[in-house]
Amino acid sequence: MAGALKMKLTRQLLSLTVAAGCLLLPATLWSAEARPQVAKSSCVECHSAFPPPTGVSEAQWAADIHAQKGLSCASCHGGDAKDPSPEGAMSKKAGFRGKPKRTEIPALCAKCHADGAYMRQYNPSLRTDQLAQYRTSVHGKRLAQGDTKVAVCIDCHSVHGIRSAKDTRSTVNPLNVASTCSRCHSDANYMKDYKIKTDQFAGYSASVHHEAMVVRGDLSAPTCTTCHGNHGAAPPGVASVENVCSTCHVFQAQLFDTSPHKAAFAAMGAASCITCHSNHRIVHPTDKFVGTGNEAICTNCHAAGDPGFAAAGRIHDDLVKLDEALKRSAEVLDKAERSGMEVSQARLEEAQGRDSLTKARVTLHSFQPDKVEQDTQAGMKIAAKTYQAGLQALAERDYRRKGLGLTLITILVVLAGLRLYIRQTESKNQSGGS
Amino acid sequence: MQVLLGGGLLASAVSFLYPVWRYLVPPVATDLGGDSVVAAKVGELKANSGKIFRFGSRPGLLVRTADGEYRAMSAICTHLNCTVQYRSDVREVWCACHNGFYDLNGRNIAGPPPRPLESYAVHVNGDDVVVSRRRGT
Repeated sequence: MAGALKMKLTRQLLSLTVAAGCLLLPATLWSAEARPQVAKSSCVECHSAFPPPTGVSEAQWAADIHAQKGLSCASCHGGDAKDPSPEGAMSKKAGFRGKPKRTEIPALCAKCHADGAYMRQYNPSLRTDQLAQYRTSVHGKRLAQGDTKVAVCIDCHSVHGIRSAKDTRSTVNPLNVASTCSRCHSDANYMKDYKIKTDQFAGYSASVHHEAMVVRGDLSAPTCTTCHGNHGAAPPGVASVENVCSTCHVFQAQLFDTSPHKAAFAAMGAASCITCHSNHRIVHPTDKFVGTGNEAICTNCHAAGDPGFAAAGRIHDDLVKLDEALKRSAEVLDKAERSGMEVSQARLEEAQGRDSLTKARVTLHSFQPDKVEQDTQAGMKIAAKTYQAGLQALAERDYRRKGLGLTLITILVVLAGLRLYIRQTESKNQSGGS
Repeated sequence: MQVLLGGGLLASAVSFLYPVWRYLVPPVATDLGGDSVVAAKVGELKANSGKIFRFGSRPGLLVRTADGEYRAMSAICTHLNCTVQYRSDVREVWCACHNGFYDLNGRNIAGPPPRPLESYAVHVNGDDVVVSRRRGT
């Protein structure tokens, strides 16, 4: 009896062990597979015990793309990463050069990154002109003059834990670029020698571009490097602003080129797009931007009586008129839809009306009221049609409601009549019987 | 009384029969879309052309490629919801509002659109080119 119980318990224990093994084995295999295979390094064995900046943890080094591709500490620092003794690993004989000077870092990285043949084996599509670009940047030029405060490769890409720019944890992933730049550019104390503003990050954080990137998750939305360049980072300059913006806003730039503002801005020495939209704090434009009201940018240059003032007012009025017409139409269609009426065709046309408004808002970059009016008029016609469709749907709803009411009244009258008729017949029968 | 009652019964009968008649003779067909719609007739579209069709209350784009193959996708630009169109000169889908481009699989390839267009399944059923939402999307 005791033997049978013992055997049963042993069998159950064995089953549990096998089940747990089955559950845990894939997890173990997965974690072993997910963890990058990085060669053992005698450097990391010692330096993982040090505090930063000389400390490099095994996890940090394992996450570094260079370690994952088979490079070792010696690839940058020289020495022998396989030698277990500190003397041997960091011997001059083994080529140990220690911590590179900041001024040496771009050239050191470029030893591999500017070598097309070498880089091809790791990533054939990776660019190899980073150093050449860096030398044209404000950072690169200042570094060449001996200013070691400016950014070098490791300031943006980090060090000993460098991830691919595609990795969302990378300091140079589009999601993180702005905060990486802001580490220096928002530090008023650090930047005081350069006499430039430090509100760029605050402005960008409030911009429509930041919203697109962070809120809508659109990684193609611009960040600092999109307009300034990454390795060749520099302010675009007045003459280049339009070219930079037009890499995305093509139509606006084409229309601006045909507008009277093109020559006027050039004469004033004003940069095209940013004169109205600002540079870093580019907020979502509203129809109040254009016109003659308090919030209108046009009034910065135009005053009552000049043709530009009148044109701005006309453009604003046309846009507002169409916007209001579309809203009125949408309101009626919403009401009809809530009442259970079928208005999908009108909804489809309404979308085309909104297209016209969007187009008109682009066309306004021509600053020609007649051109804007062409778009708004097309939209107004659609808005009038969809508004009528909404009214018709509501009229149909009212007709059905009235019909239902009339039917119910008729039925009630018939029921009341039947009741009276039955009572009359009963009273006749009673009087006939008595 | 009998006249009143007879009139009332007649009116009631009319009120019952009228909806039946309206049901049997429906208004001009309104396609509410659903998961499938007849986007065109076979032969309606020339090769290397496109047309906007109605998918419920939203526009869809049916394209017949230069090879004669059909492709269909949502016609609502993922940037600011404008209606896109087929450009036969570049053989791509184009949004006229901000110059956004998509390939014939609906993938955003240039300009401001942040995401691809929803792509639909197309099959030919007799004379009809039928467009359906892909399962699981």
